[in-house]
Amino acid sequence: MTTKVITFMTQFEHVNDLIAAKESFEAAHPGVTIEITQATDNFESVRAYNSDNPPDLMDSGGWGLFKNKNMFVDLTSLVDAEAGLADDLQPGLMQIARMDGSLPALPVDVSIPLILIKKQLFDEAGIPYPHEGWTWSEFAELAGKLTLRNEEGVATQFGFATAPDIEMYEPFIMRNGGSYLSPDGKTAHGYIDSEATIEAFRSVIDLYRVQGGIRKPDEPSEAGELHQQFAMVFTFTWFVGGCIHHGIIDQYELLGLPQMPAGQPGNMLYMGGVGITQKSKEPELAWQFLRHYVLGRPERFAQSDTRTLPITRSLAEQSGMTSHPIWSHYLKELDHVRASGFYLSEKWNSSRQLINEDIKRMIVDGADLAQTLKSWTRFA
Amino acid sequence: MHGAQGQHAANQPNNLAKNTHDRELVERAQLGDTEAFGELIAAHRDKARQWAERMTQDPHMADDIVQDALIRAFLHLGSLTDSTRFLPWLHKIIRNQAAMRLRRGGPYRHEQPFTAFESVKRSSPKSGFAKGAASSNSSSVNWDDLDSILHHLSKGGRQAASVGESVHDDPAEQLLRKEMFETIHVLLHCLNRKERQIFEAYFFKQCSPETIAEMYETTTGTVYTYLHRSRRKLREAHNVNVYFQGLQPIRGGSVMTRKKQIHLPPWSREQMAANSLVDRVAQLLAALDDPRPMAQLMGLSGFAFRMKISNRTTYADGLYIYDWRQVIPQFLAKLGYEATILCGQLSGMPVPLLGAAERFPVVFPIEESVLPFIRKYIDQGMPLLYFDTLAERPYVHEWSLVYGYDDEQRVIHLTDRMSAQGKTLRYDDVTDNPLRFLVGIDGKQTNHPESTTLQANLNALHFAVQYARQGCSYSPTTVYLSYSSGLAAYERWIGFMHKDAGVMPNRYGMSQLSLVYGEAKRQAAQYLRESFIEGEPMRLLLLGAEAYDQAAEAFEQISARMPFGSSQSISASPQTELLAACSTDLSTARDFEAAAISYIEKALLLWETERI
Repeated sequence: MTTKVITFMTQFEHVNDLIAAKESFEAAHPGVTIEITQATDNFESVRAYNSDNPPDLMDSGGWGLFKNKNMFVDLTSLVDAEAGLADDLQPGLMQIARMDGSLPALPVDVSIPLILIKKQLFDEAGIPYPHEGWTWSEFAELAGKLTLRNEEGVATQFGFATAPDIEMYEPFIMRNGGSYLSPDGKTAHGYIDSEATIEAFRSVIDLYRVQGGIRKPDEPSEAGELHQQFAMVFTFTWFVGGCIHHGIIDQYELLGLPQMPAGQPGNMLYMGGVGITQKSKEPELAWQFLRHYVLGRPERFAQSDTRTLPITRSLAEQSGMTSHPIWSHYLKELDHVRASGFYLSEKWNSSRQLINEDIKRMIVDGADLAQTLKSWTRFA
Repeated sequence: MHGAQGQHAANQPNNLAKNTHDRELVERAQLGDTEAFGELIAAHRDKARQWAERMTQDPHMADDIVQDALIRAFLHLGSLTDSTRFLPWLHKIIRNQAAMRLRRGGPYRHEQPFTAFESVKRSSPKSGFAKGAASSNSSSVNWDDLDSILHHLSKGGRQAASVGESVHDDPAEQLLRKEMFETIHVLLHCLNRKERQIFEAYFFKQCSPETIAEMYETTTGTVYTYLHRSRRKLREAHNVNVYFQGLQPIRGGSVMTRKKQIHLPPWSREQMAANSLVDRVAQLLAALDDPRPMAQLMGLSGFAFRMKISNRTTYADGLYIYDWRQVIPQFLAKLGYEATILCGQLSGMPVPLLGAAERFPVVFPIEESVLPFIRKYIDQGMPLLYFDTLAERPYVHEWSLVYGYDDEQRVIHLTDRMSAQGKTLRYDDVTDNPLRFLVGIDGKQTNHPESTTLQANLNALHFAVQYARQGCSYSPTTVYLSYSSGLAAYERWIGFMHKDAGVMPNRYGMSQLSLVYGEAKRQAAQYLRESFIEGEPMRLLLLGAEAYDQAAEAFEQISARMPFGSSQSISASPQTELLAACSTDLSTARDFEAAAISYIEKALLLWETERI
């Protein structure tokens, strides 16, 4: 019997699920071998694509790889050919996956942020838990009140936990009607420096400088790890999945992000993708494996070590996620996701750490916020 | 109240608001906001012209002066320390420009001002940096004249600034404007530090020779000498070297092409170090008639003692994750050389080694940003360090030496680990290298401590201990990229070998890591043996050397199991039994390296105690 080999180049190091998919697919398709190879990053993936032996399938933890023109098969017709599939795909994330007019990959590793409330720390402070629909000012006040410092001024508990990173602030900017970039990602003029963006950004920086509710970069801390003395945590599904896995999720309540003054819904999204390369000699077979790997096997989302969200409604339904108290909340939030700056512009993405250095200056040194944001127009 | 006085009083709040607005514009412009600069200039252009006309009594010359002054203001707004003093600062620039123009005894007697080129119509609406610009573009640039070159480079900025127009919709103009600063920076690289400081102070900060003389505690005559010499060097270095991509270089209107290759000393495969950075520095020094033993280079640079592993899996990228902009010049400084770096990352294409490149400026794939830098050093007989992202397989990317260029063929000549005779890369490949990093040697330092001194070696040993115990001081800020270094790297690596680790060890990375780190341990042993201290501390170092040899042997076991560059699938997952054997080897290497570090620690302690 002739063996057909489908090569899959992955950038993920946690490959247990990929290996499980390979094994179950090979069992169901005698004569087919899925050969998994690794790449460190998009650079190596592109080199592999340009080599004499290009892979059939490639994944990436972000979307930048799939912005390479003429490298991946547009999956639109394959999706449309499957009865009901197009309607089954989560529309929120698919609008981002299709942002360039084609569908170069199926999303994987999908995650979005919400806020975990650590009940014990609220109880100890005698503060009632906040509720859905809470406002930014309520949230900011809580962040300040729930930050505790010892006599040396070192925080033993922080009201809120998030990273000093441009991407982490983006949901709040979106919810205030602002954005970093134009919808086509071609300019930041009129977006990063808009009033709505500046106002929301100032609110976030004030959390560090005015309310003192977030740990500043390099600030000494005795608050421990993220699951310890942090009253509210800006958290993606990965951390929540970890809390479920380790049996500590009952210590928390999950809440949506606070309402900004503009009162708009909106959230960011992280996702990677898997695409079929245009050089694949077996695109049909590659599609079959892709379907199996990404769209099949609902049981993997029902396990206690689930960390990400499924990309179809049927997977969410069949895995029981839609009725899960935590996961259902995340699934609903998928309806409000928008493309973040790093999906829209590779230049913006490349400049991320330069921008973060400016953020650090804003937080630590009080660098002028409006001027700094205006200066970031050069990064798009 | 008198009418005029009343008017004056009524204007005061307006003036105050205007001054505040000006200050805001200046501060925004200083942060890189070209629109703010445009607005600023639109507000004050008439006034600037009035000043210039009053000074020169010549409306045409006044226009030229204003144009030149605005370019200089645009280029060097960052040097204006008091943002409330924009108008006096601009006035000073205008005055200096006018004085310079009047001193010449008439328009353009010796030099053409920037605006003299305004009348020359370009056939392409895009400026000179745009790829494929028509040849007539270059005819408007006089490469014998620095002002002409600066004019050419700053055209986009002037267009934006002088009319306050919004040009950000034009990608070509936007690109040119953003690239301008970098390119001018490249132009000035042919000057040494002092020359550059004085040149910039005079031309860009508009300081008088007297002021500069005070600043540098010298005489005005010396300042003039520096300026004269700088201008000559700039002309010599650039008048034939900066040209449009796709066109022949122009000099005085005639076509002239150039090429040059530096002869590199032979470098056999046996000489070659697995650490490509140190290896390339070794051949570079040999080319400069300053050969050094590899163990000395590995030891002094610290690469004999560095070991870093990705926290994701056994990818090879840990080999390259350190602060390039700091580590490489420091290494060269220890060897007594001053160096200049050209670095950046391109957007819109995958950049390798993000952990090292993440804070490099985002630059554009423009030939003039890279090739003049290469030509400059090659013309001086200096090969350049170059990070080659098109390294021949099985390598992915490696350090190389650029040792020649050929304008006619539009290629550079460089070394490649897989090609003894070297190779060529097209200018386009160099321009499009997503991770731009070049290092040029400017010359020997004066009064630098000899690298073989006892103190230099003691510092290297202290580094070895600190790195092993505390790990690398550099770490990327990108959240999903983290690394373990020093002795902790062993634990991380061994963890990946465990069958329940949940991650797939990267076979390619394993083979390269074991090859490079194994050889590094050998070099560490050799470095310790090259006795530079005496007595009991030396005996301890020799014991350390033995331990490093044992660690190297363990790595060589891994290399034997997973030879680098073998023909098998380079990324296939290694088998479980193989990983178990590698885990044992790594544990052995860890124990011996830990012992070696303890010996070094004791040797240093004893040495320093004996000398108190």
